[in-house]
Amino acid sequence: MVALDMTTDTVPGDAAVAQHKMTTRNVNVYYGAKQAIKDVSIDIDMDNVTAFIGPSGCGKSTFLRTLNRMNDTVASARVTGEITLDGEDIYASSMDVVQLRARVGMVFQKPNPFPKSIYDNIAYGPRIHGLATSKADLDVIVESSLRRAGLWDEVKDRLRDSGTALSGGQQQRLCIGRAIAVEPEVILMDEPCSALDPIATAKIEELIHALRGRYAIVIVTHNMQQAARVSQRTAFFHLGDLVEYGVTTDIFTNPREERTKDYITGRYG
Amino acid sequence: MFLIAILAAVVASFLGRRKAQAIGRASGGGGDPRSRMPALPGHYGAFLALCTGGPAFVMACIWPTISDTFVMRAVLASPVAKTLPAAEIDREAIIGEARGLADGTIEAAFNPASYELVKPITAAIQHFNLIGFILTLVLVLAGFAAGYLCIRRDFRARDRVETIVMVCLMAASLVALVTTFGIVASLLFETSLFFRQVPVTEFLFGTHWSPTTDIVPGQTNGFGAVPLFWGTVFIGAIIAMIIAIPIGVLTAIYLTQYARPTVRKWLKPTLEVLAGIPTVVYGYFAALTLGPAVREFALMLGMENPTSESALSAGLVMGVMIIPLISSMSDDSIAAVPASMRDGALALGATKSETVRKVLVPAALPGIVGGILLAVSRAIGETMIVVMAAGMAANLSANPFASVTTVTTQIVQLLTGDQEFDSAKTLSAFALGLVLFIVTLILNVIALSIVKRYREAYE
Amino acid sequence: MTEPASAIAIATNMERKPTDWSASSKMRQRLASRNRTEKMFQFTGLAAVVLAVFFLAFLLWSMLADGVHGLSWQFLTGTDSSDPETVGIWGALKGSLLTMAVTLGLSFPIGVLTALYLEEFAPRNMWTDIVEVSINNLAAVPSIIFGLLGLAVFLNFMHLPRSAPVVGGLTLALMTMPVIVIAGRNAIKSVPPSIRDAARGIGASPVQVVFHHVLPLALPGIMTGTIIGMARALGETAPLLMIGMRAFIPTPPSSFTEPATVLPVQIFLWSDEISQGFVEKTSAAIIVLLAVLMTMNSIAIILRNRFEQKW
Repeated sequence: MVALDMTTDTVPGDAAVAQHKMTTRNVNVYYGAKQAIKDVSIDIDMDNVTAFIGPSGCGKSTFLRTLNRMNDTVASARVTGEITLDGEDIYASSMDVVQLRARVGMVFQKPNPFPKSIYDNIAYGPRIHGLATSKADLDVIVESSLRRAGLWDEVKDRLRDSGTALSGGQQQRLCIGRAIAVEPEVILMDEPCSALDPIATAKIEELIHALRGRYAIVIVTHNMQQAARVSQRTAFFHLGDLVEYGVTTDIFTNPREERTKDYITGRYG
Repeated sequence: MFLIAILAAVVASFLGRRKAQAIGRASGGGGDPRSRMPALPGHYGAFLALCTGGPAFVMACIWPTISDTFVMRAVLASPVAKTLPAAEIDREAIIGEARGLADGTIEAAFNPASYELVKPITAAIQHFNLIGFILTLVLVLAGFAAGYLCIRRDFRARDRVETIVMVCLMAASLVALVTTFGIVASLLFETSLFFRQVPVTEFLFGTHWSPTTDIVPGQTNGFGAVPLFWGTVFIGAIIAMIIAIPIGVLTAIYLTQYARPTVRKWLKPTLEVLAGIPTVVYGYFAALTLGPAVREFALMLGMENPTSESALSAGLVMGVMIIPLISSMSDDSIAAVPASMRDGALALGATKSETVRKVLVPAALPGIVGGILLAVSRAIGETMIVVMAAGMAANLSANPFASVTTVTTQIVQLLTGDQEFDSAKTLSAFALGLVLFIVTLILNVIALSIVKRYREAYE
Repeated sequence: MTEPASAIAIATNMERKPTDWSASSKMRQRLASRNRTEKMFQFTGLAAVVLAVFFLAFLLWSMLADGVHGLSWQFLTGTDSSDPETVGIWGALKGSLLTMAVTLGLSFPIGVLTALYLEEFAPRNMWTDIVEVSINNLAAVPSIIFGLLGLAVFLNFMHLPRSAPVVGGLTLALMTMPVIVIAGRNAIKSVPPSIRDAARGIGASPVQVVFHHVLPLALPGIMTGTIIGMARALGETAPLLMIGMRAFIPTPPSSFTEPATVLPVQIFLWSDEISQGFVEKTSAAIIVLLAVLMTMNSIAIILRNRFEQKW
């Protein structure tokens, strides 16, 4: 495997940008005439887990999907402002969306393994991106990805079984493994535990802890305890506005904004 | 030529892949996504294969038609051709024969003159085959060179290949459009030729149908299609529907509301078998079994000279053929009625049949009517049953035991057998076809919009 | 229809006497008559079903009774002739095979690609709407119109050979393609969007998403639709009469451009013969045709049940 030293690649003189893995400046997202995201500026760092919280419909998932241009598939969606990955504008015409999505992986709300074998689920990404030159290479990638996703011991004897035969929590870890397999730099997780039971949720949270530092992780959650448990930074969204963004403990113990406080204390949600 | 194109493409795909791999290795390759080439070696291979084989393949497809005209011209310019008769028809017949002799499909020619032509034809064919061959090679090499030079470190081969794939997809979707256009254009064109000879009013409102090839201008010529329209409506929209609507709707009600699930599971596919039986089989059955039986029945009723080719036998069988269509459309519409409506009626103490008659059927009526319109459109466009069982006599009669003829029967009648293509007789078939096309189109559009609006109402 | 009336009755006459459901003889009579109607209705429904099934059974039985003695090895391997004793269906069967090969070879790829384009890539605009409308209408155009198209375009305009499987196949392909498109679109629609998201999320391009994931998952459904469409094409007669595939073919065709006939047309031709011996042969040919068609339809049904997936 190749060592993951992406951040050190960047030129030292470019320090202002290089400090942050991803930056967004004045991002607006429109669906047709409706504005879903208003003027959001956020920095995402390599060694942090960043949580997006907020009531449903606040735009946190929409914003997450602009970070790897998944919104491109929605015909009416329009994005303005600047989003960069390692200082590169991801909405620039020179950016290959497909490579962007390989670098910024995504895990979805509902586990969505391909109806193929566990092995093929993991191997699909490396195959289409040409990461492996031989079968042996691919085997190594599959094993290491499944190990990192904490799934290897459970499935190592049945790699040929269908991915859809796993339990919900295992499926979600398989999806995380599938995202890891293409060696992304950022992993976006869109409410990854909302379809899972508490035990499976705990496992995913452990996994997020284990992955922290290797990848910049952004997680959208409506569960505030979860945000408090897994993240170092938290952004609170409300009606398309970024209300507050800061260190997680500060947000939860000492919110600056009234709206944040109301939400965290359960006044609405 | 096809072979060259395909072989060249295979070789090119291999070379493209090799070059891409070489570049990949040279630039260090490896896992860093930003230093990776923007596509897999296979994409470069596919790209080069398309560049090399694509134009040559297109060339191979169109060359035969182009070379044909060239061959013709060359042959006509040859000294032997000077001796050919001036009349185009004779000349073409001789050349056709000579051509058959040249490629060995016929052994002996009817006209001795064609033997003379074999030599120049063979020579011309060989000449133009050689030209085609060389052109293909040139295209292959040019395509390959252009494609090969394109492959560089930062060349997005995948995007290019995918653009080509998208163009193929779009082209495929245009086939349907072209077909529709072809139907409309050919029908309109031939029909306009027909109406140049026969007035529209005679065709649409005349009641006398006995098409002949000899047209007397300014006089009615037996192209009055009203008896045909009547026969079509009588068989397809009246007799067949009298059979099919009650049986079809009742079957759907029984299957959805009364039958046990296991019974339903078996009966539904069984009924669908009725829809799968080819119409020629229905026609045979109507002509051979039902026709004589209907005739017997008519005799019993005291009719004189009943025919075995009656509207009744054709309509009966057509009705049976239509049952599954009406049944499945009604089935769908009844199933689409919200369960709460049904439960509401049942909870008031209505019996099942009261619920069905007073709640379900009225609620599902638009869907059922849509299904019936589709069925009518199917029935009036149906050909084989009426060709085999309804007869040829263009009668304007409402007697189900009489023989009537339909639009489709006459189309078949007019266009089979010996044809002179430009006579009013054959052209009238296209006019009938146009009428049929327009009527079925209108019925379908109405039916589909009714069904669509109905579905939306309950969604 | 009586509900509004009774509602008013309740509203205006609050002290209505409670209905005694069990004792009132009038109510009992009424119930009995309603139950009779119920029985009658159910019986009518059953009768309709029985009638339809009976007709099917009668049709199949009469074909079997007439034709089963006509089936023989010689019948299956022989070709058309003027003597009912020596006729066979191999010539027609081979014509059908060649025609179907052309039909499948054209309509399947074009149909599937069109379905993919319309479901996955086509922008929502007027152009797409026109394509969609024309496909839906083609699916309902009477088959004989396709025959007229074949006659006018393929024979008179393009001068393709008359009576040849290639022309028959082309004509039937145009007829079958919309069926495959419609079945294909439904199958593609039933592939859950989450699969597309998953593939896109790890960086598959739109074309890769479709060809690696959507198409394989939709294939069973597409196959079912294709088989049903092909079965319809195989039983089709009228359009082939238009393009002259009704010739007397004493030797089986050996290429796509030689004159040929197909099984349903052969049945039609034989049914016109005066000689009594042809009745048996016609029915025998029908048995063969029906056997092939029912096999195809059973395969389609099995395929559908086997791969029916609930997501």
